[in-house]
Amino acid sequence: MNTLKIQNLTVEVEGKIILKDFNLEIKSGEIHAIMGPNGTGKSTLTKVIMGDPNYKISDGEIYFNDILINNMPVNERANLGIFLGMQMPLAIEGVTNADFLRSAMRAKNGDKFKLLPFVKKVDELTKMLHMNSDMLNRGVNDGFSGGERKKNEILQMYLLEPSVVLLDEIDSGLDVDSLKIVGESVMNYYKDKAPAVLLVTHYQRLLDYIKPDFIHIMNGGKIVKSGDSSLALEVEKKGYDKVIKEAKDE
Amino acid sequence: MNKIIIDNEKSLLVTSDGNLSFKTDESSKFLNVQNLNVKISSDTDLIIECTGNGDIKFDIYINVLEGVKANIYELKKDAVYKSQYKYYLEKDSYLNVQRVISSTSINDMTIINLNGDNAKVDYNLKTVCKSFEKYNYLVYHNARKTSSNIINNGVNILEGELEFNVSSFVPNDIKKCYVNQESRIINMTDNLCIIKPNLFIDEEDVIASHSALIGTFSSFEIFYLMSRGISKKESDRLLTKGFLMKGISYHKDDLKEIIDKYWR
Repeated sequence: MNTLKIQNLTVEVEGKIILKDFNLEIKSGEIHAIMGPNGTGKSTLTKVIMGDPNYKISDGEIYFNDILINNMPVNERANLGIFLGMQMPLAIEGVTNADFLRSAMRAKNGDKFKLLPFVKKVDELTKMLHMNSDMLNRGVNDGFSGGERKKNEILQMYLLEPSVVLLDEIDSGLDVDSLKIVGESVMNYYKDKAPAVLLVTHYQRLLDYIKPDFIHIMNGGKIVKSGDSSLALEVEKKGYDKVIKEAKDE
Repeated sequence: MNKIIIDNEKSLLVTSDGNLSFKTDESSKFLNVQNLNVKISSDTDLIIECTGNGDIKFDIYINVLEGVKANIYELKKDAVYKSQYKYYLEKDSYLNVQRVISSTSINDMTIINLNGDNAKVDYNLKTVCKSFEKYNYLVYHNARKTSSNIINNGVNILEGELEFNVSSFVPNDIKKCYVNQESRIINMTDNLCIIKPNLFIDEEDVIASHSALIGTFSSFEIFYLMSRGISKKESDRLLTKGFLMKGISYHKDDLKEIIDKYWR
């Protein structure tokens, strides 16, 4: 059982507070979806958990299985089993997917890394995700469409087998077919590995494929309302403004 | 395929396909400068490999004749170099130059004369700079519809001080030229690096552009790689490899060896 625990977290960027006194606990086998209007700190939350140095934790703690990770380097967090599927994965010209993924797998497996099983696994995953088989020889996300980039994130998730999965708007930029492939692939991974999942999304449509146990509505850098999957339907029906206003009135 | 080897004492054409002529003479015994003359008369590839200890000084004159397409792949290693390259491109000729450099020190002057209509040069330099390296370029568009694309990429490490000075000239009435300069230095030290991009253009009917950037790798790129468990050191190696290998088709293994030497 793995647990990601965020306690009283306050985060700022260039002097502006983005997350304020934020609390959340996610255990293995749980799917938490964070929803909310633009600019409420949803993406910031995932980046701070991953250790993006552009964000400064001014107060509070992030624990992974009781290990305080506030000051842990990004790669060490990843090697603990934390994975961030990014909203806008970067294109890195010149660095091939093959080199990138090999380095990531070597970092994870050390001397146990074997090239042939790795190539075979990538081949299986590209088929599963309906990606071009030549992607290994292309630059990381270089020339990839929005959909291909998101699929590449999911491919990396399958390779690295994380125990905590953070997915930041993994549905943005996807057409209906790609959304189905990505959504079902995440759910299959969840069924197989039972990770703790934190999902950031604006839309109910992703939740047709990924079924969260908990929905949290964020506003002003903190969770203002939590509930089960019916909360997403309520948001879809009423809109964020009304749901947030009702939460404040309660 | 042709191959010239240059060391401290001599220059030799060790392989030839008959598509170029090669002549050497010593311009100054006192200064110990080697003089090399290459005339490329048919489509071909030329490999230039320079290696040795101590000082190596040479001037090389390369003439690409009308309608000829040539690739020059150069590898420069180890020594202290002082060299001058003079290229003369005639009508409808094309020259592709790829240079891979890991020297002790370099002071280098390149003069490109695009003398015939439609002459075109693509130039790509990659260096790992560990001490002092200075590259000066003068690119003369002396005829219409000529094209120059000068790309310099360097990673500055250890005691490195790297400088690219690129000046391109298009006189009045030399119309429909394409002029591009792209220089980028990844500076992994606190030492001074310099890029001077100059476009001296006296003609309006020209497409000209330049970019010059000195800095480190993007923090976003580093974060992305590290978020997959890759260490900072390995992230730097991957980004360096990607940065330097781009556009290099011939001395790839040598370049990879150079990168591995400093980033392993």
